[in-house]
Amino acid sequence: MKFEFLKEEPHGTTKAFFLSSAVWMVLGTTFGFIGAIQLVAPELLANIPWIVFSRIRPMHTNAVIFGFVGSGLIGCAHYLVYTLLRSPLYSEKIGKLTVWMWNLAVVLGTLTLSWGYSQTREYAEWIWPIDILVLATLALMFYNLFQTARRRQEKLLYVSVWYVFAGLVFTFFIYFFGNAVWNPATGSITGMPDGILAWFYGHGVVGLFLTPLAVAIAYYVIPIACRAPLYSHTLSLLGFWSILMIYTHIGAHHILQAPTPTWLKVIAITGSIAMLLPVSAVLVNLWLTMRGRVANMHATIGGKFVFAGILWYLLTCLQGPLQSLPSIQKVTHFNNWVVAHAHMGVLGFSGVIALGGIYFILPRITGRSLHSEFLAEMQYWLVLLGMAGFFTVLTAAGLIQGHGWLQGETVYRMLPQIHIYMVLRLAIGVLIVSGAILGLYNIFMTLYGSRGKEGLS
Amino acid sequence: MKMTPSLIVGGSVAIFASVLYIAVLLPWSTTTREPSDIFRWRTPLEERGRQLYVNNNCSVCHSQFVRPIDWGLGAERIAQAGDYIDERPHLLGTQRTGPDLSQAGGEHPDDWHLAHFINPRYVRPESLMPNWEFLGMENIEALIAYVQSLGFKMADYRMERQRYWKEKAIEAYEAGTDANVAWLHEMVPEPWRNLPNPYGTTEAGLKRGQRIYQSFCIGCHGPIGDGMGPAAPYLYPPPLNFTTLKGRGVSGGILYYYIMNGITGTAMPYFKRELESEKIWDVGNYVATHFIGETDAGQPPKGIEASYEPPPGEYPYGVSRLGANER
Repeated sequence: MKFEFLKEEPHGTTKAFFLSSAVWMVLGTTFGFIGAIQLVAPELLANIPWIVFSRIRPMHTNAVIFGFVGSGLIGCAHYLVYTLLRSPLYSEKIGKLTVWMWNLAVVLGTLTLSWGYSQTREYAEWIWPIDILVLATLALMFYNLFQTARRRQEKLLYVSVWYVFAGLVFTFFIYFFGNAVWNPATGSITGMPDGILAWFYGHGVVGLFLTPLAVAIAYYVIPIACRAPLYSHTLSLLGFWSILMIYTHIGAHHILQAPTPTWLKVIAITGSIAMLLPVSAVLVNLWLTMRGRVANMHATIGGKFVFAGILWYLLTCLQGPLQSLPSIQKVTHFNNWVVAHAHMGVLGFSGVIALGGIYFILPRITGRSLHSEFLAEMQYWLVLLGMAGFFTVLTAAGLIQGHGWLQGETVYRMLPQIHIYMVLRLAIGVLIVSGAILGLYNIFMTLYGSRGKEGLS
Repeated sequence: MKMTPSLIVGGSVAIFASVLYIAVLLPWSTTTREPSDIFRWRTPLEERGRQLYVNNNCSVCHSQFVRPIDWGLGAERIAQAGDYIDERPHLLGTQRTGPDLSQAGGEHPDDWHLAHFINPRYVRPESLMPNWEFLGMENIEALIAYVQSLGFKMADYRMERQRYWKEKAIEAYEAGTDANVAWLHEMVPEPWRNLPNPYGTTEAGLKRGQRIYQSFCIGCHGPIGDGMGPAAPYLYPPPLNFTTLKGRGVSGGILYYYIMNGITGTAMPYFKRELESEKIWDVGNYVATHFIGETDAGQPPKGIEASYEPPPGEYPYGVSRLGANER
């Protein structure tokens, strides 16, 4: 069989993004695992430059955000757009090209970080050439999907489609400005404004890239899985426009305790509290769609993942506004509490929904059931238990650190106090990495294995 | 509302533009570009060190701003916007797995930093920081120069003090053990010099002292107190060898004073931020009984005895009379 770089096949782009997501989930979680080892036993992997903790941590965060969750959500987004608009993808060739470019960006980003080239601002660590590659890929993706929308058979745009397009537009601009691509050498501006810009980006790249795409998938999967119409168009509109207006303002809550202008802190805090509005609009809408039909959601593994994902969304979005309050940040800032929160947003919410989307869509594009429902169930429980364990352990460690510091203990004195939590976190990491490996095997075999049963069950 | 592709894209762009104006451009155009009172420009070597700090993402564990609620390293000065006018990219950081570094310059002399970069556990046995030996000496020197510049003029002042006392400490060390000990005694204020450790020796106290010794002291002074810990080859003057101090009049007060305040200029840091009173007395007594071989713990003048102290008797059941007998 000849390998074709831009092979055109039905759903080819979606499939390729799914496979990329599965591969990056294994790599990204493994990077995290290697980092976690170093927080338990700093000498075990000493003097290996390319996996030293401070390099592997951004390798982990970027591979997970862009590689695992990003690819999974983008793959689903392509499928949603051409399915909901009843029109084939404008160009599978461009689609495949974007798959390769996206993966090339994550590979190069990972390698350059590992070699010690970094611009160091969180989630904007990748150096300039990779930023350009990411932006070019996003632009090409937008072009491909927008052309699909222009050729659509379905006149009405379903809410998932709104989120996909808004997500792509916001991601492009926030990536462009956030990485300060007009300053190739540093990828930044100067002084406190750079902190403000960097957190406008750092907050937004999760909230305006991962969140809209994950919400798009939830809006798509839930009515189908429940066999019920969406509860309310008005709530959809409210949730959609309000998240775009509010989420964007609040990045400065990451630097509330720094010399940030006070009025900006006020905007960031009030905006963070106001986030309860878009979140409850979306969740109430989805919840009432599912009312009395939660069992239907759990009839398929895809639906199960999506349901779990929106539960984590609820928890994340209750915790988020809470921890933006200065009186709470006094304890929680700078410690593992925030790490727990970040995992809840990226793995618990958007990562789990990406997996849900993949498992929901895979049988529909391959025309046969998953290679193994059992392995997918296993992965579901491994990821959920892992996520719940992470959250508990890291939150506990964070509270211990935070209260210790507040009482005048130094950072060094608190390290032995959190050691056991770092050990537990490493152990729990085994669950998540094994879940990722099962997922890769299952997704690969579903796409390319010969054992799959014919016909959609 | 009829949702069309152009409405969604146009609306998104319009919202993005207005938020960018409010949340980024307005603060950008109104934030001060005036340097603060401590600001100074960095030297080329310090800049090179900063680039290494950037490339290796040191800010994933080290913040660079002191908050009004902070204790610990650098908490003498709360961060001001004018401290950051030359930060590109910003290195504010979001985690403290290591200490805040905004005032790290001059807290330790360069040789302490060298040992610390080679292997942080040489000088901080419970540290989680990675070893940076692989960067090579030239890069480590640049990193040290950068760390020593953190705090700008405040760091420069501290560095000057480090250099001044290093010269004195080396002079005393090179004059031989007698002269060195005499100099060290002389540098301790009179009342401390004559102060015995007010608490008697108990097994529990020695155990606590040992635990503290292992967390803070062992890397330089070594497991048997001979000054031959793994950090020793990097440090000059070298760590004090406690085993040669018997009969030289090292009182509990002298030990306490140096653990509390450190010996600026040498790698001996001050520990008053990390250890409270009883911990310092305990580790001091551990050093005295185990390594020096004599202790004044529990000797008069004692004043009113602490209520919890066990009665004098045979160690470990009561307070030891070891020190008293040996004198």
